[in-house]
Amino acid sequence: MNLLEILDNLSSVDGVSGNENNAGMTALSLLKKYCPDAYIDKMGNVIGNIYSNDKKAPHILLDAHLDQVGFIVTSITEEGFIKVGNVGGLDMRLMPAQNVIIHGKKAINGVIASIPPHLSGDEQKVLDITDLLIDTGYSKSELSEIISLGNRVTFDTPFMKLANECIAAHSLDDRCGIASIIYALELISDNEIPYNLTVLFSSQEEVGECGAETAVYNINPDIAIAVDVSFALSHNDDPIKCGKINAGPMIGISPTLSKEISDSLIDTAKSNNIPWQTEIMNGTTGTNADRFSVSRGGVKSCTLSIPLRYMHTPSEIISVTDVQNTGKLLAEWIRRSVSC
Amino acid sequence: MLNKYLEELCLLCAASGNEKAVREYICENIKHYADSIKIDPLGSVIAEKKGRKQSPKKLMISAHMDEVGLIITYINDDGTMQIAPVGGIDASVVIGRPVVVGDNNINGVIGAKPVHLLNSNQRKELPKFSELYLDIGAKNKKQAEELISLGTYVHFLPSFNIIGDIKVCSKALDDRIGCAIMLELIKEEIPYDVTFAFLVQEEVGLRGAKAAAFSVNPDIAIVLEATTAADISGANGDAKVCSLGNGPVVSFMDRSTIYDRELYNLAFAECKRMDIPCQTKTRIAGGNDSGAIHMSRGGVRTIAVSAPCRYLHSPSSVADLNDIQNCLKLTKAMIEKAVEI
Repeated sequence: MNLLEILDNLSSVDGVSGNENNAGMTALSLLKKYCPDAYIDKMGNVIGNIYSNDKKAPHILLDAHLDQVGFIVTSITEEGFIKVGNVGGLDMRLMPAQNVIIHGKKAINGVIASIPPHLSGDEQKVLDITDLLIDTGYSKSELSEIISLGNRVTFDTPFMKLANECIAAHSLDDRCGIASIIYALELISDNEIPYNLTVLFSSQEEVGECGAETAVYNINPDIAIAVDVSFALSHNDDPIKCGKINAGPMIGISPTLSKEISDSLIDTAKSNNIPWQTEIMNGTTGTNADRFSVSRGGVKSCTLSIPLRYMHTPSEIISVTDVQNTGKLLAEWIRRSVSC
Repeated sequence: MLNKYLEELCLLCAASGNEKAVREYICENIKHYADSIKIDPLGSVIAEKKGRKQSPKKLMISAHMDEVGLIITYINDDGTMQIAPVGGIDASVVIGRPVVVGDNNINGVIGAKPVHLLNSNQRKELPKFSELYLDIGAKNKKQAEELISLGTYVHFLPSFNIIGDIKVCSKALDDRIGCAIMLELIKEEIPYDVTFAFLVQEEVGLRGAKAAAFSVNPDIAIVLEATTAADISGANGDAKVCSLGNGPVVSFMDRSTIYDRELYNLAFAECKRMDIPCQTKTRIAGGNDSGAIHMSRGGVRTIAVSAPCRYLHSPSSVADLNDIQNCLKLTKAMIEKAVEI
């Protein structure tokens, strides 16, 4: 299995929250190899099942979210510039002169307008989202043929290989989580597993975990793991708030997570010599696990996070080794029989 | 051919002082057309081209090869690197960008602390260059040192997109537009002898132009440039400065030069005669190699012909291909008329 190629494919398709179809189709085709009955539900969630011979075996949900942050078209000005709203949390400091793709009837290139230093003088400030203008080179009438209000806009940055097994791309949050689950499925594909397993690639995480909320209701699992990304330490960051890149998956520990599942993940990592680190939180986790844990009568939940630098920017960095180790940990954990 | 030259030139990386890639491309593409090619001590390319007639006055046409970029100033213990701008760049067009590092094109990213970890004041504060750093994925200082050294140049990731019907979006349009026009001109039969100067180090203070203007010692100079347009929604009247699609920009004055009035009038008259649009800048802003050339030795009569360009000095500047074509037409006409004034 070529994990790098899977990461490239997954992070090169668009899937801004609420419009995950392209990313969903790519994730679905990867998942079908292991779950031939996999499908996309009415919320845009990609769902597949692997059944155990024992119908009474515990039901486990593995989740990573499909959607990415981006923009949504709100209007077109008389001069032919596109105005947008944000979908998910974006850093407005880095917007000027960003290359973007507008996903209309066809995908077109655009650039976020900026005033260059020659003209801006001392009046520079961080723009509000409502001040952003996207230049596409088209007039208003030409644009109206291609773009409708509500179309999504993504950053246009390429997939890049860096030193030390690192890669950079704009939607690694959370496509790398999807890749790690696919990798885990590959590792267990020859094994009989002691669980009934459902894989969920969920929609609309970035706008409030909406896809996870409805999917977990339908799936009704006993145990759920949200594989997402978390902050990796970079220059001048606070080491208390961050994990480390290339140091393995971050196992979540929090009052809202199941101590039992956290401990079993740690035990699995230890006994299989898989590098791991903890991510200690003091309440909700900001991931789909917040939805899983309180679904129906309650679900034992945990987070497994891939350390990522520069979250929600056009150039997020992760390590392929961390993705691999996350997949390994999931695979070994699934092979174990955990009572619940 | 003009557009092909432009694309190939824009995809090259050549921050000020590091113009080698563009210089080599230019030398390769003019060697069959120029009568002589010299590279001066600073690295500028000076090419002579004979015309049908010997010119009564010496004419120099110039464009600059360099672009804005970054340079590595320090390697941190954690393997990230401190950077400084080469030329005028806002930190806001650098933060969060993919970049290429050094001659071996190592990939990197200018890191941005996640918005989740910024407080509300930090979110509204423009980043400062001293707070930015380069991340190539190196695990520590030692590994970073194996891959790069201090003083290594960092460039915006090359990309060249046609946007809309007739516009181009790329880094380095300032001033590969001028270089592309000169490559096109030098291929053609020209009425008078011309010295074509492809200059270095414009973005760090017009330094290549100062030395080359001395060596060439012209009577008249035409500077080909990309100049800043602010014709976006919300900018009205003079705040647009100049507009894409309205033809070559010929200024009467900017922050570096008061231009020769007779050449200024001639440029507009030639555009009128050829029925191509022409505009001037409505604010006194920016500057170019004219600032060094017009004061060279005892003075040089100088005019600049510029393509209007949005988002200058960013990874994604935008220009109109018709404007660039019209800059070529105007410059060609000026070769004949300028030396006769």
